[in-house]
Amino acid sequence: MSHIRESTLTAYLVEDQARFYRLAYSYLHNREEALDAVQTAVCKALEKQDGLRDAGAIRTWFTRILVNACMDQLRQRKRVTLVPPEALDAGSYEDPLPEDGSLARRVDALPPEVATIVKLRFYEDLSLKEISQIVDCPLSTVKTRLYTGLKKLRIAVEGGV
Amino acid sequence: MKEFKEARENYESIPIPEELGQRVRAGIRQGRKNRRSRYVRRTLGTAAACFAVVFGALNLSPAVAAAAADVPVLGGLFQVLTVRDFTDADSDRTVEVEQPAVTGSDYADAVSARIREKVDEKIAEGEQIIADYKEAYFATGGTEEDWAKHDNKVTVTYDIKSQTDTTVSFVVSSAVSIASAYQEQTYYNLDLAAGRELTLQDLLGADWVKICNDAIRAQMAAEEPTVYFDESAGGFATVDETTSFYINESGNPVVVFPPYTVAIGAMGSVEFEIV
Repeated sequence: MSHIRESTLTAYLVEDQARFYRLAYSYLHNREEALDAVQTAVCKALEKQDGLRDAGAIRTWFTRILVNACMDQLRQRKRVTLVPPEALDAGSYEDPLPEDGSLARRVDALPPEVATIVKLRFYEDLSLKEISQIVDCPLSTVKTRLYTGLKKLRIAVEGGV
Repeated sequence: MKEFKEARENYESIPIPEELGQRVRAGIRQGRKNRRSRYVRRTLGTAAACFAVVFGALNLSPAVAAAAADVPVLGGLFQVLTVRDFTDADSDRTVEVEQPAVTGSDYADAVSARIREKVDEKIAEGEQIIADYKEAYFATGGTEEDWAKHDNKVTVTYDIKSQTDTTVSFVVSSAVSIASAYQEQTYYNLDLAAGRELTLQDLLGADWVKICNDAIRAQMAAEEPTVYFDESAGGFATVDETTSFYINESGNPVVVFPPYTVAIGAMGSVEFEIV
């Protein structure tokens, strides 16, 4: 039962930071909020590092923390009064958004628990088993959600996933 | 799949802000510090207004909480802090513990020692319950594969109900995810300046039993249709020295009855504020 070394964890966090940001951005579509979510998740990872036992599981372990941080942020958003558009800083507008009707748009329009699975599978190339660990659901649920998602997106995937 | 390729390219072309590296490093620094100091999240003994602002901010994110821990104005005489905060998971169960302690006097240290004992006892008890459950599960034909789908958890957490310069009221809750019957709450109402536990009598005066009973009966009667057990059927009779309570933000005692003791189980714990 040895813990992984803190240096292994920090090296991983620094190296893969761009991936974390993209995943967070795909949830939040807001630069500042995505940065906040990444920082919060990194902070939490350092705090909770004793819970990580296996260096091989570092990616699924951290992705879970990050996805939870994004979900928290989304939930919190519902409780926060919206800022009028003119009060927003220009940064929010500089970020590109996929054009209407594109697949990326449709993925984002899926219910969050379904979109998470589609993103992790196709954008992040994680296996269904890893995804089930990240979202803390049985494998069968992950499969059902993935197929529901694909059906909604009207996409046929050749050869199974 | 062509569409997915496009969506993925789209995803991969999300621009990375310049300050990302700096934010990641800040997160690492904060997380490392929080872990070392088991962070000082809530502090006693400061002006209420200041407290309200800081407390609000502390709830926002661990990052902000860590920053606030450095603010000197928070350094009061007594503090409630998280001294143990860990998650320990293996294939059979997850143990999540957030254990509080009070600091600032010998009395506070003695209370903290009692809390520690209680928390240790609850963890051991929870682990035993899960071990027994596992044994029974396999003995009755459960498979390894099905067992692996269980997410058994032992949790111990705390929640501060209210605090003033010299008093604090908080509850330590423990639970085992297998059944709600394993939930347990222990309330602590401390007068840290006097070095003793507060009682309902301290808060309500010599007539405390009558005051409580009248208030509780009136609140029960106001509930329609009634969810409370009749006194003849083992329902509420009277409060006494063993009745649990906490002190709310308005400074009023709130009497708490565990599930099934005075009301139908669906009500969970029931609380009565004594105004």
